[in-house]
Amino acid sequence: MTPGRWLIVVAVLATGLAIAWSARPQPLTDAQRVDRIAAELRCPVCQGLSVQDSPSETARAMKDLVAKRVAEGRTDDEIRADFQRSYGDWILLSPPLLSLSGLVWLAPLAALIAGVFLALGRARAPAAADGPAPTPEQRVQLADMLAEEEPQ
Amino acid sequence: MKRIARYTAVALILGLAVVLTLAFRRDPHDIRTGTVGQPAPAFTLADLSGNGSITLDRYKGKVVVLNFWASWCIPCKEENPALTDVWERYRGTDVVLLGIVFQDSTAAAREYTARLGNTWSSAVDDAGQVALSYGVFGPPETYFIGADGVIAGRHIGPIDSATLIKGIETLRRAVKK
Repeated sequence: MTPGRWLIVVAVLATGLAIAWSARPQPLTDAQRVDRIAAELRCPVCQGLSVQDSPSETARAMKDLVAKRVAEGRTDDEIRADFQRSYGDWILLSPPLLSLSGLVWLAPLAALIAGVFLALGRARAPAAADGPAPTPEQRVQLADMLAEEEPQ
Repeated sequence: MKRIARYTAVALILGLAVVLTLAFRRDPHDIRTGTVGQPAPAFTLADLSGNGSITLDRYKGKVVVLNFWASWCIPCKEENPALTDVWERYRGTDVVLLGIVFQDSTAAAREYTARLGNTWSSAVDDAGQVALSYGVFGPPETYFIGADGVIAGRHIGPIDSATLIKGIETLRRAVKK
């Protein structure tokens, strides 16, 4: 390999490593953890808003509770589980896959698979048969019929 | 293939009809999710009257009707006569009516109870964290807690006397068995 090609390989590897290094998981501060958990929780008194985005008093109380639990040293999963115990899976904006609410995720996938099968079925279905070619007698008959119908 | 598609469509429509029928038959105030069937979350909160604190554990072995309310909440005012009826009916028995005021100021809550003449105890959930532990959406909400300390039922919105008495008597019968 020429030195120029080696240089390209090294540059590509260095770029990849730099991207991987910058994308590595960073330890979050307590405030960032509170914000992240609050963004995953549904505000119970709002229309489709997260606790993080809602200005309601209930959302504020929920965020305070999250902050309290984080300060107590509870894990994210434990905090989420607390809210799930009180409100059910509904309280999570992204319902867990392995639950009844998880059907929300599976239904579109199932519909897509069913659609693909349906389309494949249609594509493979044999085309309508054309039937046998007309006999010479039939051709003569047809020509006569057409001649009769032609305007004089 | 066409037959399968037709059967699938019919099955889907039937399924939808069953789900809708069941959903429309359900009482929207009676939400059987979250903490129903679970042990009632314990709490110790300040008594609204200013005399000490209220602890749920104190009422173990009794049927507890836990009513979440706020003085600014109009439906809470609507249901107050029903709560008063039940309070008078079961006063001094094995049934306890307990209020929990949240998302409110103590002064406004005291003025409200004085104005309506409520004499049952209410606890102050200042931070709203007890309400969250019960899975409360907003006031008013009423929880029926059995003598075993388990939440047997929950009513969202203003409650009437008949629903209160039905819930209480069901739990009292369970205690006697």
